Amino acid sequence: MTAVATRRVASLALLAVTLVAPPVRALDAEVTSDTAAQFYDVRSPTGETVLTRRRLVTTLGVGAYGLVEAPPGDVKAPELSFRARLRYDADYGASAAEGAPTVSQGLGLVPGFSRGPVDLMYGYLEGRRLLGGWLGFKLGRQYVTDVLGWWSFDGGEASLTLPFYFKAEAYGGLEERGGMPLSTPRFERDGIWRGSRAGYDGLLYPAFQPATIAPAFGVALESAGVTWIHGRLTYRRVYNTGASNVSEYASGLYTPAVYDGSRISSERLGYAVDATWGGVGGARAGVVYDLYQAEVSSVYANLDAYLGQKTTLSADYDYYVPTFDADSIWSVFAAEPTNDVGLRANVNLTDELSIAGGGSVRVYGVQTGPFDPGVGARYAPSPNYSAASSYFPTNGHPFDEGANVSARWRTGETLLTVRGAGNFGDEGDRVGGDAAAERVFETRYVVHGRAGVWEWQDKLRPDRDATSFGYVAGVGYRFAPRSQGSVEWEHNMNGLVGQRFRLMFLLSMAVSK
Amino acid sequence: MKSLALALLPLFALILVVPLAVADSAPVALHGMAPLPDDRKVPRAMLPPGTFDPDPGPSGVVFPAQRITVRFNHARHMTKEVGATCKTCHSSALRSKSATDSLIPTGEACDACHSTDHSDAAHVKAGDDASGQCGYCHVGYKASDGNVVPALELPRANLLFDHKAHVDRNIGCPQCHGAVDQLELATRDQLPRMRGCFNCHQASDAASRGDAKSACDTCHVRADAAGGATRIKTMFASGTLLPPRWLHNAEHGPDFIERHKTVAADDSQFCANCHKEDFCTDCHDGRVRPRSVHPNDYLNMHAIEARMSTERCTSCHQQQSFCLDCHMRVGVAESSPPNAKESARFHPPKSIWSDPPRKPGHHAFEAERNLNQCVSCHTERDCVACHGALGVGAGFDPHRTGFLGGCATQLRRNPRPCFACHEPSDGVLAQCR
Repeated sequence: MTAVATRRVASLALLAVTLVAPPVRALDAEVTSDTAAQFYDVRSPTGETVLTRRRLVTTLGVGAYGLVEAPPGDVKAPELSFRARLRYDADYGASAAEGAPTVSQGLGLVPGFSRGPVDLMYGYLEGRRLLGGWLGFKLGRQYVTDVLGWWSFDGGEASLTLPFYFKAEAYGGLEERGGMPLSTPRFERDGIWRGSRAGYDGLLYPAFQPATIAPAFGVALESAGVTWIHGRLTYRRVYNTGASNVSEYASGLYTPAVYDGSRISSERLGYAVDATWGGVGGARAGVVYDLYQAEVSSVYANLDAYLGQKTTLSADYDYYVPTFDADSIWSVFAAEPTNDVGLRANVNLTDELSIAGGGSVRVYGVQTGPFDPGVGARYAPSPNYSAASSYFPTNGHPFDEGANVSARWRTGETLLTVRGAGNFGDEGDRVGGDAAAERVFETRYVVHGRAGVWEWQDKLRPDRDATSFGYVAGVGYRFAPRSQGSVEWEHNMNGLVGQRFRLMFLLSMAVSK
Repeated sequence: MKSLALALLPLFALILVVPLAVADSAPVALHGMAPLPDDRKVPRAMLPPGTFDPDPGPSGVVFPAQRITVRFNHARHMTKEVGATCKTCHSSALRSKSATDSLIPTGEACDACHSTDHSDAAHVKAGDDASGQCGYCHVGYKASDGNVVPALELPRANLLFDHKAHVDRNIGCPQCHGAVDQLELATRDQLPRMRGCFNCHQASDAASRGDAKSACDTCHVRADAAGGATRIKTMFASGTLLPPRWLHNAEHGPDFIERHKTVAADDSQFCANCHKEDFCTDCHDGRVRPRSVHPNDYLNMHAIEARMSTERCTSCHQQQSFCLDCHMRVGVAESSPPNAKESARFHPPKSIWSDPPRKPGHHAFEAERNLNQCVSCHTERDCVACHGALGVGAGFDPHRTGFLGGCATQLRRNPRPCFACHEPSDGVLAQCR
């Protein structure tokens, strides 16, 4: 989209909002900020410090509510609000060479790495209950959260609440992608090493793909109003545009070659539903179908039975196959699904004390014989096709096992939590637990601590087994509502890397009118 | 005389028995101390609609605990004999538009029958008979207390409620409060249950369904700007408002962090009624490790966790940026800068991990089982080097069984991953055209 076109769209949007919105009244506003400074070292398994982390993460949020006139207490009145949050995430422990694209490879360049990126986490104008309650919209950088995952884009969304218990939603814009202004790669599909190649020579890390705009749109239909059952059918398509380096070698095997043209990045269809039946129980289920890979990538189902007022017994099932950006070669790699089946119980012993725990079994597939590419395949001979030249497990469905238990005791000023977990499989084991406590004195003095012991065994690399003990101690002071400063000391020790320390300073502030 | 005495004996007996009977019935005067005589359990049928059995009572956060220092027998007053109805004493409910209105009658409502005079609260005058004495109704009152009676504590409900709107729609008191007319003392237990509200409030936000909307802020108090403004208020002096388990199966138990995804996946707007984006992004796009998810020493532990995939890393992390960045910097990634590279230390020995022939512990099995763990360190170039059709390991087919069945669609919609390994003119691609 050109700059001129962008300006036109923005002008139209502003005009629309101005026409729809009644006169402005005195608004409610808030300014928030959260800052965390962390100081710690990353050590190798042999104990050397390989990274000195000096991190500073700070956010600045603004919110303005009640931008249109509404009688006090009228829950049917239209609403207009604006919310935004900027973030600065710096690591002053990084060297300048790590993020400099003009530095030659030998000096430590890490493509895509920035010492202090700033991103706009979200920033949107939201209208609700417009046109008598039928219409809602969001304009700007916003999140979409549903069975397709947690996603962010720049654009517009409109939702129409229909009679007969349905709501239709449509949105479109540009997917938030790393390497673009004020953006992070957090929300793009995985599998492509991508970012801004500004300043990069074409032969410098050609495998690092250039970030370009990614048009996207989606629609959803969901139930509305009914409280005992809810379902959402959702569809989303994202396009990759621009050039992609197909041959990823600067020298040697191939000359870099480029594939250019609009193409699918991801296209998925999902449905999720939950239902409850009074004092009996409830059920939830969801499924995601990846239309590019033409396979079901995720399924979950839960059944809850309410045993009296205090106990809930649940059975869970989870099916998962990793899927990737359609640009990625991993989209066409063999990946076996994992199937998790579990039982869980939650007991509220008192109003303050709850205990939950459960166990699960993971069943995953493993290829037990040579690949069968299908009828008519014409592949070159390969060890993959020969049982004689490759080992294949005889059991195609190995099991992993896991269990966890957690308890919480909560009063107005005290929170105690305890948890333990164990996971056991062919690739490794992990077992341990920790306990945490937080106490607020006189509504402003905060003291908290955590201690834990964990042991893990790496069955692929037995020399990496370790037992770890760690603790955290912190104090804080609440100097205003929602405003607090605190300092934390973390100390971990294990046989692999010895002692590790982390010092943290946290400051949260909020001012509202 | 004797016969007269015998004849009057029943009368004497009556004279004797009646006072005794009255004396025995003295406990009757204590009626109104509990919902039912002898503090019997109130049958579910008399409780408000939506009550469970057993009944945990209404929300203690929405309806804070009360201290009732007046005994009152609703059933007695609502007999035909007395003739009172709900609105006799609670007439203000017919006009009330706010849950902060006091709907409890003042003492003056009692004066007409009990011959008391509450017109001047500073000088209340007792009535002539027993039922007009202060201690008759005010529990704990002693004569030495003078004009002071124990305080009645009925905290306002943390709720939006328009009684008038409901009355105007011909919704009777029992539809929300149960059979108060059959009970003696009305307690918190007769306050509405949210599940009962949903008997009517099952409509969307759109105007098409009238006012009985199920949107949370129809009834729940909205937060001010400090609390997010478009969200409902969840923190009260009486506690933290949490969803009941029967609402979207969203009970916030100790392990909710491990299963909240299924609630959010279905109806994230439900979560957004209470939580701002910041609450979610602190973990899902967080830059400060949440210890409730990743315990102490996670930096050392995360590799084994990622390998086992006990938690799905991709729920919060984009692996080709968040993971790869750091893995390159510390040198465990194949693409690490040469001066940092020390990746050989991570995998099993090459003879097991990658050398043919394939044997137990080979990376192929690990990749099939959990491809995400590979992606957290490797760029696709690392795989193409061997798996590419013309790479050093040409012929090591990475495709899944039955791949040819769907490859035509993939090639048509995005051939880029195909071309990363195959020349466009590669005859093998013809099978997918």
